[in-house]
Amino acid sequence: MAGVDTIRTLGNKYSAEILSATDEAKSAQELSEELDVPIATCYRRIDELQEQDLLELHDSVLSDDRRRIKVYRRSVESVRVEFDGTPSVDIEERSEVTNTLDEAWRTLSET
Amino acid sequence: MVELVRTGIEGLDEILNGGIVKHSTTLVSGNPGAGKSVMGLQYIYNGVDLFDQRGLYLTFEENAQDLRQAAESIGFENWEEYVEAGDITVFDKQTLLREHEFDASLELLLEELAEEDYERLVLDSLTMFQLFFEDEQEKRTYLLKFIDILADNGLTTLMTNEQGAVFPETDIGLENFLTDGNIYLLQTPTDSGVNRYAWVAKMRKQDVDTDIFPMEIDEGGITVFKNASEFSMMGGEESPL
Repeated sequence: MAGVDTIRTLGNKYSAEILSATDEAKSAQELSEELDVPIATCYRRIDELQEQDLLELHDSVLSDDRRRIKVYRRSVESVRVEFDGTPSVDIEERSEVTNTLDEAWRTLSET
Repeated sequence: MVELVRTGIEGLDEILNGGIVKHSTTLVSGNPGAGKSVMGLQYIYNGVDLFDQRGLYLTFEENAQDLRQAAESIGFENWEEYVEAGDITVFDKQTLLREHEFDASLELLLEELAEEDYERLVLDSLTMFQLFFEDEQEKRTYLLKFIDILADNGLTTLMTNEQGAVFPETDIGLENFLTDGNIYLLQTPTDSGVNRYAWVAKMRKQDVDTDIFPMEIDEGGITVFKNASEFSMMGGEESPL
């Protein structure tokens, strides 16, 4: 069970925005531009979020000038904080294929 | 009266007592080379060619070009024409696995099903599809949901399944219980090549012939020999063809 460290990481400036923006895999550069975050801060946040298993390295894609660019994707869907006892967080992980099927199946049972 | 979808595969529809139950999902199991993909191709091709029913072919195993060649090599000469006309839609390896984003492909598939009117679907293979799920419980849950979604979209489906053993009682997977029907394709080596057999082990809602029948793969695809007298089971005698 993750705890205070996760909450601290999430509380850092831009962390939550980065997670929201990484629904699809993005590079540090893209995030920096999209969210208007200084690039050095962006890299630091990415490292921290990865350490807490909130963000994952998704792929290394080849850029136009043939360099490898790392792209990141959030690995969680939601985080729930419990304050009863020591603060603890409950992380709902992301599983895209199952989400898609769940959603399709839900609509079909409604009709 | 149960509505049936004819496979158009000679001999097989007779064994099935007319065809496959409409909106059902049937698993076609066998080891590599047993003819699973050929059966899938033939089911989709016959759908358009003989019954005017559109089909979707999903393959993790091949790209569209390989698939076309495979189809043409067994005499399905109009395959490409049907693909171009939109009567057969292929989601090939490259489409399904593009950028490791199977989820996006799945959404594409669901959109296609919602927008277009298909009656037949082949998934080659279920073995690959299941790799996208984490544990047995998840595989089971999502295979059932996927089957529901396909039925709801009016599809009658064949899914191929890799099977190690020649006779499957040693490793019957959970998927055999989850699908509506099970067809096994078997092959045994002989001096001159292989003997092939088809076994319809289960069909929900249907009275089927559960004997094991000889079959051949030739120009025109699969032929199953319903009358064993047409063909020797022992492989010692010449085939009458």
